[in-house]
Amino acid sequence: MMKIRLMESSAVAGSTFAVETVGLTKRYPMAWKRKILVALDHLDLQIKPGEVYGLLGPNGSGKSTTLKLLLGLIVPSDGEARVFGLPPDSLEARRRVGFLPENPYFYAFLNGDETLHFYGKLCGVTGPALKKRVDELIDLVGLQNGRERPLRSYSKGMLQRIGLAQALIHDPDLLFLDEPTAGVDPLGSVQIRDLILRLKKMGKTVIFSSHLLEQVQEVADRVAIFSLGKKVLEGSLESLLTENHGTQIHLSSELDAAGQERVRKLLGQAGIADGAVRFSRPHLSLEQLYLRTVQGGVGSTTKDSNSP
Amino acid sequence: MMSSLYRIIVIGRNTLTESLRQKVLSVLLIFSLVLVCCSVYFSGIATPGLDAAGLFDEQIKFVKDFGCGAIGLFGFAIALLSTAQLIPQELQTRTIYTILAKPVRRSEFLLGKFFGIVLLLALCVALMSLAFVGTLYWQEWQGIALVQNVYGYGTPSWHADSISVGQYNHEIDLIDTQVRDPQLIEAVLLIFAKLVMTSGIALLISTFSTSTIFTIVTTFMIYLIGHLESTAREVWLGRGAETSIWQSGLLGFISLLIPDMNSFTIVDEILSGNHVPWSHALNLLAYANVYLIILLALSIVIFDYREL
Repeated sequence: MMKIRLMESSAVAGSTFAVETVGLTKRYPMAWKRKILVALDHLDLQIKPGEVYGLLGPNGSGKSTTLKLLLGLIVPSDGEARVFGLPPDSLEARRRVGFLPENPYFYAFLNGDETLHFYGKLCGVTGPALKKRVDELIDLVGLQNGRERPLRSYSKGMLQRIGLAQALIHDPDLLFLDEPTAGVDPLGSVQIRDLILRLKKMGKTVIFSSHLLEQVQEVADRVAIFSLGKKVLEGSLESLLTENHGTQIHLSSELDAAGQERVRKLLGQAGIADGAVRFSRPHLSLEQLYLRTVQGGVGSTTKDSNSP
Repeated sequence: MMSSLYRIIVIGRNTLTESLRQKVLSVLLIFSLVLVCCSVYFSGIATPGLDAAGLFDEQIKFVKDFGCGAIGLFGFAIALLSTAQLIPQELQTRTIYTILAKPVRRSEFLLGKFFGIVLLLALCVALMSLAFVGTLYWQEWQGIALVQNVYGYGTPSWHADSISVGQYNHEIDLIDTQVRDPQLIEAVLLIFAKLVMTSGIALLISTFSTSTIFTIVTTFMIYLIGHLESTAREVWLGRGAETSIWQSGLLGFISLLIPDMNSFTIVDEILSGNHVPWSHALNLLAYANVYLIILLALSIVIFDYREL
């Protein structure tokens, strides 16, 4: 899966932020209703090179608008954005940026190979270097069976994967991924998650939006939660998710009733009231169960509460 | 500069591939080729009572009219349909985001798309012209056979009458002159220039239009006005002193805004066998070029400011 050669990001050594915004605002005038829609309201962001940053929020909260502004696809109504210290719409900035849009549709008449060659040429990658890069990326995203097939016959998951490959074609320092796991099966999602982690190890900066909170939790260094065009919460996952009013003890083996009683007594001696102690068995998430089943090759077994 | 040109060419080639792989355009092209070739069949429906020379004269004129008419008509349909959907389709499928997120300027994207359409038109006109030339040669072969039959070429009485031989050679020369008419190159070039101008108008409208239908209808209206404006000028300005200031002003404004498509009807003169000097055709081609540059410059400015 991970055979691709990814160059060390030169930006990591730099002192500037990979992405910096000050009071970034986007307003859309709605002439007919005599109203102004504020899609993004005074966003301040500072994302360091090499960071994996998650954008969370419901639909219409401003995540995609933020990405479009950072790519220079739309012009801010107010405020400023910089990508590696450069204006986002400059060619220099775009040479260092890769983008996967939400629910991407590429040229349906091209096959996988042609699509990557087209985007590669646009980025100035040509000749044997381009051919090698295409081979690497096809291998990376697991689309060997889609090389010769036209994109109109691709599934949603395959489109997402070819989209990811085109975003990486010029080996960018910064990746914007808008819902990268939308429409991808859980196994594919894990592969994308692993790819983000791999990119992070290579010093790349990744900014992505996702509705799959568990995945964000697994890869992001920091997250921002958006609501109605405003950033309402930001921080590292460690600081945001740690609750300061409890302690968890993890045991890798089962503790019977007698054992639980002994632990209660020990904790009681440490001044912890009996009612403050709770014992439960660890639970898998449905995604973990699915992956364990599919990847572990478990057959069609059934398990329910009545099973012996 | 060179890399900019390279990106325009890459986008242009991709646009050509896209157009050629669309079933509608392929069907349109095949149908036009069949129709051009069918002109031979229709030319057989001749006016009764004509002699061999008169019959051939009428048939060859019909083939020329029908062939050039088909090139103009189908070329117009291909130019209009393929250009009108360029930008709206890119926005609808969001493929434009993946391209403009790469180091590609908006102007390069637009010029590349237009270059692709010009390549498509050149290819279609070249193919239809080949079919047209083939049809003309077929008609020439038929005409020569007809003349040979009338003069008994190859029979024992051949050469007996030197006057008949002289007449025979004269009629064969006439056929040759009518079929191998270099002015037909002028006619095809002017048709092509008109098609490219139509495409340029459609491109300009599509830079601010939000639907393909709007672009098609508006371009068609401008095309019609372009044909009628010179007639209006003749009618109004022909009266001399009777022309009011607002009439002259309106005509001036329209002729500045809308290209004079009617001047390209000089093609009809060529097809009627009248001599049109190359200098006149070159003037018209230069006029088309200047107008095209204005159309493209306006398109680039509007598209640069458009919110995507």
